[in-house]
Amino acid sequence: MKEIIAMIRPKKVSATRNALVQLGYTCLTGIAVRGRGNQCGIAEEVGVTIHTDALYSSPAVGMRYVPKRMLSVIVPDDSIEKVKNAIIAVNQTGQIGDGKIFICPIEGALRVRTGEAGEAAIL
Amino acid sequence: MKMIRAIIRPDATERISEALASAGFVSMTQIQVFGRGKQKGITVGTVHYDELPKTLIMMVVEDNRVDEAIALIQKQAYTGNFGDGKIFLSPVDAAYTVRTGAAGL
Repeated sequence: MKEIIAMIRPKKVSATRNALVQLGYTCLTGIAVRGRGNQCGIAEEVGVTIHTDALYSSPAVGMRYVPKRMLSVIVPDDSIEKVKNAIIAVNQTGQIGDGKIFICPIEGALRVRTGEAGEAAIL
Repeated sequence: MKMIRAIIRPDATERISEALASAGFVSMTQIQVFGRGKQKGITVGTVHYDELPKTLIMMVVEDNRVDEAIALIQKQAYTGNFGDGKIFLSPVDAAYTVRTGAAGL
């Protein structure tokens, strides 16, 4: 089992969810997070207009953190590529700020309702 | 690659992110969380706070810079009192940039 952690744009969450449902992965956890990438946060990513006076009076250009959504999906080992490619296909706009995907190992899983353990708990 | 999850005081967040950025660790994610540690919350006067607000900083770094990043976080988060936080380290198998689809950080 692996955990796929995807940091994506907030407005791409439902598209990603639909793409994952079509692949048969309905379970996911989403958290509203803020963060920054290699560019240290850029203002153009968010659809708000910043008053020019405010922009030039601040010592730092741009914003410090950008709002993002963190999706966490637990998948069996053999479907990592499929899910990863689906997330990339949906979220790719070609602009900076599309996000990152991390793949981390998961040692175990337990479904609380039935007590199923291992891969039976996540499918 | 390793994922560093640091649970720290909310007021130390900016200090840590500045220090990390100046050392070249620009990318990070922050989450506002609530939790408690070994002391099971805190009692102020007659009021017991079971869970305290913390900030979770999540970042993925290359293996050879893990110690440097952890030392930086520890230095900035340290006050010597209970509640300075914890740092967890976990393995990351792979990382991909969505924009290009390329592997790596």
